[in-house]
Amino acid sequence: MRKDGEDMELALDTPARLRPVPQPLRPSAEDDPATFDASSDTELLLRVADRDREAFELLYHRYVRPVFGLALRRLRDRQRAEDAVQETFTAIWRSAHSYRPERGAAAPWLYTVARNAIVDRQRARVEPPSEVPDSPSAELGPAERAEASFVSWRVHRALEELPEKEREVLELAYWSELSQSEVAEYLHIPLGTVKTRTRSALARLADLLEGELA
Amino acid sequence: MTRPPDFDQVVGPDVDPREEARLRNVHEMLVVAGPPPELSPEMAAGPTLAMTLHRRPARVRHRVALLAAALALVGAAFVAGYISGNGGGDGLSSGKVINLVGTKAAPGALASLRVEPVDAAGNWPMKLAVTGLAKLPAKGYYTVYLMRGGKLFAPCGTFVSAGKTHDASVWLNAPYKLKPHDTWVVTRQMPGHHEAGTIVLRPNV
Repeated sequence: MRKDGEDMELALDTPARLRPVPQPLRPSAEDDPATFDASSDTELLLRVADRDREAFELLYHRYVRPVFGLALRRLRDRQRAEDAVQETFTAIWRSAHSYRPERGAAAPWLYTVARNAIVDRQRARVEPPSEVPDSPSAELGPAERAEASFVSWRVHRALEELPEKEREVLELAYWSELSQSEVAEYLHIPLGTVKTRTRSALARLADLLEGELA
Repeated sequence: MTRPPDFDQVVGPDVDPREEARLRNVHEMLVVAGPPPELSPEMAAGPTLAMTLHRRPARVRHRVALLAAALALVGAAFVAGYISGNGGGDGLSSGKVINLVGTKAAPGALASLRVEPVDAAGNWPMKLAVTGLAKLPAKGYYTVYLMRGGKLFAPCGTFVSAGKTHDASVWLNAPYKLKPHDTWVVTRQMPGHHEAGTIVLRPNV
């Protein structure tokens, strides 16, 4: 079935020069001029109410990851979560005019819109009857789940604002199980730089989370 | 769930107590939040036009759905005729070579994927030659995904990249019924991440 080694030689162009460090996982809003805009979420939402597609696109890039994360948590199905993202942003475009800044910040309003779209999708599914478990579940209860969902929402939204270099060290430290020394080795930077960036990233996140995203 | 880092190690000594409390609060929120999800290429690209279009009335939607179903039937008949007329039945020509290029996440990476003839059991052996992919941290790896209809459809194998040249040459398998427009991408799987990771190589079109 398989051909001999000669046949397996695959045509590749001249190998490009390898970079000494891994590439960023994704650009931050600030690094990417196409998606960076200093406008607050509230300002963008008000512009969306006036049918400003550019503002809608900016808002989309700020919130698509938090919305998708929330949908994945609730629906546990990638395809349905993607559908919920589609419905959430459709609802934002349709109902942005109903947002009143004097009643609160944009982030909680957007969270409510997303949660409603996800709940609608959850209801659309007919759940098979489940068996009664023998012992109490170790999973979080509804209240704790709601709390954790909102925390994730705010954190994932705030992460979008961090400079790439700071977000990268956080992601490696928190979700790739790397020690500070391993992060330094992986990124080819001094350990002191890793520590400085990490502390700076945490402080910046604290500022963001105490601000409009509260 | 991944093991959270030790706060004291992350922040270090000599922190003002008030600032330490603030940072600890963020630390705990990061642990609760978990990693942000990876987006599909379509989602990462931006909002779709459909999001900013008003929904049509139900009756119009019904007619549009009927029309779409009719068109789909015609299309399916055409594709079936084409395949049977070409005597294939495979849905995808064997011996096909797909050139992959690095995305923004891996500029400079290149790969070539050769699809071998399907075997009697329905396996499509494939040979991937790749260069320029960074070595990942321990427990990190790359996954080759079959892509169908613009979405990640199913994994076809994993590999790692290391050594001075960062080259790899591996055999993979697609135990699926392939379709004419199927293609492949390579994702980067960081340790502790179980969702499909960032796409690092995609077809050169």
